[in-house]
Amino acid sequence: MEPIAKNSCRALGIDIGAATAKIVAVDGAGNLIWHHLEPTEVRVEEQVDRFLLLAREAVGPPERLPLVATGYGRGLVRQATRRITEITCHARGVFRELGYGGTLVDIGGQDSKVIAIGPRGEVLDFVMNDKCAAGTGRFLENTAHRLGVPLERMGEEALAATDEVSISSTCTVFAESEVVSLIAHGVEVGPILRGLHRALVRRVVAMIRTVGLTPPLMLSGGVVRNPAVRRMLEEETGQQVVLPRHPQLMGAYGAALLALENG
Amino acid sequence: MNPIAALRYGWNVNVLGPAVLRLQRWQAQRRPARWDTRYLAPPLRIAPRTKELVARHWLAGRYASGYRKVAWVTSGAPVELLKALDFYVLYPENHAAICGTARLAVDIASEAEGAGYSRDLCSYARTDIGAVLSGKTPVGRLPKPDVLFACTNICQTVLFWYRVLAEYFGAPLVLIDTPFVYTEEAAEHAVRYVRRQLEEAVPVLERIAGKRLDERKLRRVGLLSKRASELWLEILQRCRHRPAPLSVFDQFIQMAPIVEMRGDPETVDFYAALLKEVDERIAAGIGAVKNERKRVLWDNLPIWYRLRYLAEFLAERGVAVVASTYTNAWGELAPLIDPDDLWESMARTYIYPILNRGTGHKLRTMRQMVEEYGLDGAILHSDRSCKPYSIGQMDQRDRLIRELGVPALLLEADHNDFRVFAEEQAATRLAAFVEMLG
Amino acid sequence: MELLPTIPSRTETLRAWKAQGGGVAAVLPIHYPRALLRAFGLLPVEVWGPPRVDPAPGAAHLQPYVCSIVGNALSFLLSGGLDGTDVIVVPHACDSLQGLGSLLLDFVRPRQPVFPFYLPRGRRESDLQFLTEEFRALYGKLAAATGRAPSEAELMESIRREEEADGLLTELHRRRRALPLTDIAFYRLVRAREYLPAEAFSALARAVLDAPPTDPRAGVPILLSGIVPEPMALLDAVAEMGGVVVADDLACCGRRLYPSGASPDPFRRMAERILNGPPDPTRGSPIAERLRHLVGMARETGARGVVFYDVKFCEPELFDLPLLRRGLQEAGLPSVHIEVDLNDPLSGQTLTRIEAFLEMVLTLPPPPSAAGEG
Repeated sequence: MEPIAKNSCRALGIDIGAATAKIVAVDGAGNLIWHHLEPTEVRVEEQVDRFLLLAREAVGPPERLPLVATGYGRGLVRQATRRITEITCHARGVFRELGYGGTLVDIGGQDSKVIAIGPRGEVLDFVMNDKCAAGTGRFLENTAHRLGVPLERMGEEALAATDEVSISSTCTVFAESEVVSLIAHGVEVGPILRGLHRALVRRVVAMIRTVGLTPPLMLSGGVVRNPAVRRMLEEETGQQVVLPRHPQLMGAYGAALLALENG
Repeated sequence: MNPIAALRYGWNVNVLGPAVLRLQRWQAQRRPARWDTRYLAPPLRIAPRTKELVARHWLAGRYASGYRKVAWVTSGAPVELLKALDFYVLYPENHAAICGTARLAVDIASEAEGAGYSRDLCSYARTDIGAVLSGKTPVGRLPKPDVLFACTNICQTVLFWYRVLAEYFGAPLVLIDTPFVYTEEAAEHAVRYVRRQLEEAVPVLERIAGKRLDERKLRRVGLLSKRASELWLEILQRCRHRPAPLSVFDQFIQMAPIVEMRGDPETVDFYAALLKEVDERIAAGIGAVKNERKRVLWDNLPIWYRLRYLAEFLAERGVAVVASTYTNAWGELAPLIDPDDLWESMARTYIYPILNRGTGHKLRTMRQMVEEYGLDGAILHSDRSCKPYSIGQMDQRDRLIRELGVPALLLEADHNDFRVFAEEQAATRLAAFVEMLG
Repeated sequence: MELLPTIPSRTETLRAWKAQGGGVAAVLPIHYPRALLRAFGLLPVEVWGPPRVDPAPGAAHLQPYVCSIVGNALSFLLSGGLDGTDVIVVPHACDSLQGLGSLLLDFVRPRQPVFPFYLPRGRRESDLQFLTEEFRALYGKLAAATGRAPSEAELMESIRREEEADGLLTELHRRRRALPLTDIAFYRLVRAREYLPAEAFSALARAVLDAPPTDPRAGVPILLSGIVPEPMALLDAVAEMGGVVVADDLACCGRRLYPSGASPDPFRRMAERILNGPPDPTRGSPIAERLRHLVGMARETGARGVVFYDVKFCEPELFDLPLLRRGLQEAGLPSVHIEVDLNDPLSGQTLTRIEAFLEMVLTLPPPPSAAGEG
C-alpha cells in the first residue's frame, strides 16, 4: 500500500462479518488508503471503538467522517452514519476495484451469496444460501476438523490429491458422517478433501445458476485463500475466476465508497 | 399426420428398433447376473423381455412427434380414454424413475434447480422439469405433449407440476380431480364429480386426437387394462408362498408395464408369461432370497438409486421383502373395473387408489398384508419427496409395533435424490432392524 | 398515524362469543365457507400455525419435511390450544393439510369432531357443482354435530353478512396506502377477519374507512406474496428499512378477497364465492393467471418489486415461483424469495435479504407503470 497522506481520508467503511471484522478508509477519489482486518469478537461495540482508534492513528480523526456499516453486525456499529447491506456494499466495492459488472460469488463463513452486478455497479439480482450451511465455509470447517487438516491447508491438500471420492450428502451434518465412514473404510484424506470441495463448489454453482452467470465470474470473501475452491469453480463453470486485490475487504470498501458518495 | 414422420416412425419403431432390441435381449440373456447370487436367486428369465418391452415403449415415444398425438399423464390417471383415442402416452414419473435407477436423476434435477425449482420439491417433478429444460434423458428423446392429463388421485403435486409443464409447452391441461377419500367410502357426489369430468374430458381429447372416441374400443382397452391388473395382482399374491418367488425389488422393476402400458395387449401377454415363470419358481422351490429367514413389508415408493444395495443388504441377512403397498396399488383396484359399466367403474377405480385414501386405510392395508403374507416386520420408507404417501407413517409404524407386535422401521430417504440419503445412518438402522427381527 | 380503533384480541373475542352461548369452529387454512359455520352458531377461528409453539408434540406424528403451519397446528392442538373449540374444520388446501385432516380422523382423534372437506382444483361447472354438494354434505355433518338445522333464509342472511365483511375487506386492501395505518396495524386489522364475527369486523373496517384519508405513506412500494406475514415483526422491519407494502398476494389476506355470489341457492352461492376468488395455486389457478394478477396489482399500486415470503416446504408456492419470477422480471419487476419456519425468530439473514432487495429496487429503473406510463 502507498504511504498514507495524513488527513487524506474522506470516508470509512466497516464490515462486521460472522468470522472477520474489517475497516477500510478511502480518500476523496475513492482509493483504498488504509484497512485493518481481524477475527470478529463477541463484544462488537468494543471492537468497533478500537477500530476507530486505529483509524485515528492511521488516517486521522474519524469523528467527522461519513461511516457506513455493513455485514451481519452492522446494527451494532453505533457510530455509523448509515447502514447498508453487504449485498449492495460488495457489489459497489468489487465494481470499483475491477471496473466492470458480472457475477460475484462471495463465500463467507456463515452466508454465501451470488450477486449479479450490472454495468453501472448496481445490483441486478442476488441469492443467498438458505438456512442450510451446505454452500458456506462452515461446510469445510466442520469436516476439516474431522480430517485433522488445518483449515488453511485444506485447499492445497485437496489439489495435491490425484483421486477424488464423491461426497453425495450436501447436508453438512450428513457429510461429516460420510467422511467418518470413508475414513473407516481406509480412504485417504486427499481424495476425501477433493470430494468435499467439489460438493461445496457444486452447491455454489447451483446458486450461480439461479441468478444466471454473466461473465466475468468474480470471487470474494475469505474462501478465496483456498486455491481448490477457485480452481473447481473454474472447472465447474468453464469461466476464469477474477479476484479483486483485497478479496476480503470488498464489503468494507464498498461501504466506504457509499459513505463517500452519500455521507 | 406427417408422412415423413409416419415413415420414420414405422421404420424405427416397427422394423429397425425391434431388431436391435431383440439382439440386445439375446445378449442380455447370455450375460451373467449383475447381483450377488450367493444370496439372491438368479435373475428372472423374463427380465430381458421386460427391458425390451419398456425400451420399445420409449422408442415409440422418441419417434411419435408428427405421427401420433402425445399425452403426458400422471401414474394414476384414467389412461384408458387416451389409449382408446390412440394417443402415445408418456409417464413423466416413470421416466424420472428410469433416471433415478440409472443415477442420472440428480444431474437432470439440478437443471431444474438451476432454473429456480427448490430442492424441497418432489424429486420426480424436478427430474422431469430438468429433462424438459435441458433435453437430458437416458431414453433418447421425449416427445412434446399435445395434451397434459393430470389426475390428483396420487397427490396435488402432479397438478402443480403439470401446471408448470403447461406453461413450458403451451399445451392444454386436462384435469381429472379426484376428491380425497378421508373415510371408508367416497361420497356419491364425489364419484359423480369424477365421472362427469371423465365425460367432459372426451370432447377435449377427441378434438386434440382428431378422431371420435369409439366406445367399443374403449371397452376393449378397459378389458385389457383389467386383465393386466388382475394378472399383476395374482403375481404379487404368489409372494404369499414361502419362500417368496419374487421380492419387492423384482416387483419394482417388473411393474413398469402395468403402469405405463396398461390397456395394451402386449402387457397382458407379458404378465401371463411372468405369472408362468413365478409358478415355475414356486414349483421348483426357488425363492427370490436364497435363505429366506424373515419376511417383511415395504411401504412407499422405491429408493430407485439403491435398489440393488437394499436387496443385497437384506438378502445377505436372510430377509426377504415380499410385499409392498406401492406395487399392490396397481393391482388392488382391478376388481373395480367393470367393462359393462365402464364410466361408473372408471370413476370408482380412479377415486380409490391407496394414495387417495386416509392414513387409517393404509394402516389397514398394511395390517392385512402382514397377515396374508405372513410378515415379520415392515420397512416404511419415509420419502421426503412424497408427502401424501409419507404423512401418517409415524402413527402407522407405531400401531404396527403395538398392535401386531412386528418390528417396523422408518427409513428416511427420497425416491430419486440420493443427496438426501445418508447411507451410513441407513445401514445402521437397517442392521438394527434386522437384529430386532431376530 | 395510529387512528385505529382497538381490535379485540382472539382470546377476548372467544370469551365474549362463548359468554353469549356461541360455539367455536377451529378452521385450518385456506378457503372455507364462513357463512355456513356461522349459520350453525359456530364462530370460525382460524389456525395458521400459529407461530412459535413448542413443535415437539406434532413432531411425534409428522416428519420434519412437513411445513411448520401444519406441524404447529397439530402441536397447538395436542398441547390444548384448541380446547375451547367445538369442531375442527380442515379444508383440503394441499397434501400436507390433507395428511393432517386424515391423521386427526384416524389417529389423533381429538375430542371435537373433525370435518375435512375437499376443494376442487378447477373453475368448471362441474367443480362448482361438486363444491356446492360438498357444502351440502358439510351442512349435514354440522347439523348432526350441533343438533341445529338453519333454514335457507338463515343461510342467506349469514352469507350476506360475510359478503358485506368481504366487501369492506376488499375496500381496505384497495385503499390501504391512504389509510391512517402502518403496515403492521393494517395487517392486524385485516387479519382480525381470521377470528372476529363478520359484523364486528365490518364495524371496525367501516370506522377505519370513514377516517379522513391521509397522504400516501412514503417508502419503496413493494408487493408481498406468500402464505402468512409471520412473524408480524417482519412488517415493522420492512417499514424501518424504508419499504411499504402496497398490495399483497398472501394466502391469508389478498387471496381471500372473495366477490359476492349471485346464485339464489345458498350452497351454490358459497361455492361461487370461493371459486371466483383471486388466483391461488391451491385452487389450481394457472400460473399465467397468477402472473397477470401480480403484474396487474403492481401496476395499479405502483409496486416496484415483489417479496415472495414463503413457509419452508410449501409446494404450492414453490412450484410456481420460477415462472412467476421470470415473468415479473420481464415486466420490469424484480423479486426476492425468502423462506421461513414459523418457529424461528426473524433472522438477520432474512432482514438482510429484504433490505438488500429494497436497496436494489431503488437503484433499478422503475417498471413502466410506476414511471407514469400514459
